[in-house]
Amino acid sequence: MLRMRFLTTAFTAVLAAGVTFGVSTTDGKAYEVVDGSKILVWGGRTPVSNFDPHQRFDAPHHVFQSAIYEPLVKYKGNPSEIVPWLAESWEMNDDATEWTFKLDPRAKFQNGDPVDAAAVKYSFARALKINKAVAWMLSGNLKEENIEVVDPSTVRFNFDVPSPSFIGYLPWWMIVNPKQVAEHEVDGDLGQAWMMTDTAGSGPFRVKQFRPDAVYQLEALDDYWRGWPQGDKHLGGVIYQVIREPSAQRTALMTKQADIVEGLTTADYQQVANVPGIVIENNVGSSPFAIKFNYQDGPTKDVNLRKAIAYAFDYEALPELYAGDATLMTSPFPSVLKGHVEIDGFPRRDLEKAKEYLAKTEWADGGLELEYVHQQGNDETRRVGLILLNSLKDLGIDVRITPLLWANMVANAQSIETAADMTGLFMATYTSDPDSAATQYHKSAWGQWFGVSHYDNPEVFDLIEKGRKTAAWDERAPIYAEIQEKITADQPELFGYTPNVRLAHRDYVKGYEYTSIKMSGFADFGSLWIED
Amino acid sequence: MTLYLVRRLLVLGTMMFGLLCITFFIANIAPGDPAALAAGPNATKSMVETIRVEYGLDKPLWEQFSRYVTDVFTGDLGRSISTTRPVIDHIAEAFPATMELVLFAIGFAVVMGVSLGVLAAVWRDTFVDHAVRLFAVSGIALPMFWFGLLLQLLFAVKLGWLPVSGRLGLITERPEPITHLLILDSMLRGMWGTAFEGLRYIAMPALVLSFPCLASVARVARSEMIETMASDYVLGARAHGLGAFSIQIRHALRNAMLPVLALIGLRYGWMLGGTALVETVFDWPGLGLLMVNSVLMSDFKPVLAVTLIIGFNVMLANFLVDMAYAWFDPRLRQG
Repeated sequence: MLRMRFLTTAFTAVLAAGVTFGVSTTDGKAYEVVDGSKILVWGGRTPVSNFDPHQRFDAPHHVFQSAIYEPLVKYKGNPSEIVPWLAESWEMNDDATEWTFKLDPRAKFQNGDPVDAAAVKYSFARALKINKAVAWMLSGNLKEENIEVVDPSTVRFNFDVPSPSFIGYLPWWMIVNPKQVAEHEVDGDLGQAWMMTDTAGSGPFRVKQFRPDAVYQLEALDDYWRGWPQGDKHLGGVIYQVIREPSAQRTALMTKQADIVEGLTTADYQQVANVPGIVIENNVGSSPFAIKFNYQDGPTKDVNLRKAIAYAFDYEALPELYAGDATLMTSPFPSVLKGHVEIDGFPRRDLEKAKEYLAKTEWADGGLELEYVHQQGNDETRRVGLILLNSLKDLGIDVRITPLLWANMVANAQSIETAADMTGLFMATYTSDPDSAATQYHKSAWGQWFGVSHYDNPEVFDLIEKGRKTAAWDERAPIYAEIQEKITADQPELFGYTPNVRLAHRDYVKGYEYTSIKMSGFADFGSLWIED
Repeated sequence: MTLYLVRRLLVLGTMMFGLLCITFFIANIAPGDPAALAAGPNATKSMVETIRVEYGLDKPLWEQFSRYVTDVFTGDLGRSISTTRPVIDHIAEAFPATMELVLFAIGFAVVMGVSLGVLAAVWRDTFVDHAVRLFAVSGIALPMFWFGLLLQLLFAVKLGWLPVSGRLGLITERPEPITHLLILDSMLRGMWGTAFEGLRYIAMPALVLSFPCLASVARVARSEMIETMASDYVLGARAHGLGAFSIQIRHALRNAMLPVLALIGLRYGWMLGGTALVETVFDWPGLGLLMVNSVLMSDFKPVLAVTLIIGFNVMLANFLVDMAYAWFDPRLRQG
């Protein structure tokens, strides 16, 4: 029996070695050609179940929704700037309580209907009524009755309180065609059932094929109202093929069964970078990772323990997790945000200082165990746990690493009692306005997964509220600088790093434009083409 | 026989209801908030509450359970909270894909397993026998996940013979459904190109899924063949001057096949369970993949539906095997 097992192992090892060395690729191309048009193949990890921009909001859904639908303004370029889109111009009044948008007279929906102010008002009202997807961004201070149709090409948003950060959220709010939605409304559902798989937008693509959990196909509109920046070379369509395993994604790219993939592991990116004909896009990201302490319960309630951990941590090991493709944080806010300031003396490994802080706690010689929770299946956050474990050994602190499914992490974050001592989390950055980062340190974040710290500093809360209601940037900037200083002093989390946004594609795919204020893995299909 | 049939059907019904209860309560006491997950990462409490009310998650557990049981008996499996589509639609798409995969895997396991078992028995203690036994041990020892990745590297990356994943080409025209089994429907519609393409896509996942079963079949077929070949009636047949081929295939193999068929009945359930791994590796859009995705999203309605369907299939297979045994052996009907 033992001999059999040995032979089996040897047989499989030889087979594995044989196929691993000298990887070759096939000569085909991933993209399909139909009637002379090239259809790009995107290998994505997550199924896309709903094309309605007011029902679902996450990275893979947004890639599709932003190809079909359009907002008033968009984020473009790196660093990200807000540029006109369905709106050709806009203005804010002096106290930031009124935002007026002038629509582009050329703008039309895919069926030829004009994009007018009534459609804009309807779209915002619909999103607020459905109360899903992007509603969280504006539901706190935007009401349907405060959206005013001034004339068919002018729409005004009125606010009870100054809202200088309003425009930063607009690139996520898509405009839908009210007439098409009304035609397909069933029992007052605002067309939700129909909009899951059909199109009522003004964007350059519409849905052609929807095979749940497997393949989704978009086709391009030749008469797209803005015209195509790359002229006749524009894509004829896009196929999104669901490939759940990173290794299968990598294989699909290498064998030319996918033109673009995202979400590979660092090792996979390194491997495919060496394959001729593959290009890696690698840009500084905007989604910081932090280890959030339980600020109000357990040992980490003690600021000196939090400081001790922050100074004992081996920060230099973090970028290595990404083969160097990551940037250490220098403030609680990511560097892509307006108003970001680098904080003097931002914590870095200093064991002496760490021991000084520890000596001020009741665990002067260590001897305690802390729990670190991270998302199950995310190898980087698991390895951060190992760095943490190794770093804290020097203080005599043990770390228990607990992987949890995302659903359970969300559940645990809901109360102070269930929040772990330390929770490793990535934060997405949705606007270039600093309020989007500051929000997570406000009391209103308690109970949310990103408020797992239950950070409590009324002074900071007041500053956050003041910052979001101040119209002039010159007055806001010092407020956000002070917020960053105070949060750093309180150390509600171990400020980590921002991983680069990476994406791999075949070299014949052209026109990829990186925009930092977008979710990881985003690509604008409208700007791409295939040069072959 | 009728009484035995009724008794077995009652047991089957009770077990199904038990499965329904257990899966419902396990799914509901598992940690995690499906409404919060479906609402998205930054959702407000009011957004989460909207979803909770929409899916009836705000109701007491007993009320949710009674509504669930009523719905199941009326053919309504609820709505997926992550995709917002009716679960029955997901099942209608995923079930034929899984059945196609399992049928191919079983077919392959039987043909290859029996052939190898017969070869090993006929050439007992030779190189052929050792090779088949090594193969059989490999089949049981190899982790399916790893074996799948290895095949992808070999046949897709290195040789480029087979596609990495999926069920059919991205823009390949699908046949109008008859049986909902893509390859069979393609043949029935005369779409031979599509059928051949489907065979290329199913080859690797079916092979991986069949491998442990194939190995077991080879082992059982070998030992049964050896035993049968040593039996009196085979010696008698030899004494009557029948040829070796006639004895091995027409007489010995026929008898050796009975335990193999019983094994297939048992392995069928195991294969349905094994689809979760294989379908994940090869992105085969079947029940296993639906289950994995739904578990990750704490989306328990599809999980319950898939569990019930797989459970029902396993119980049905066992029921049919039991009935077949009872048919052949009247003593069992008294038990």
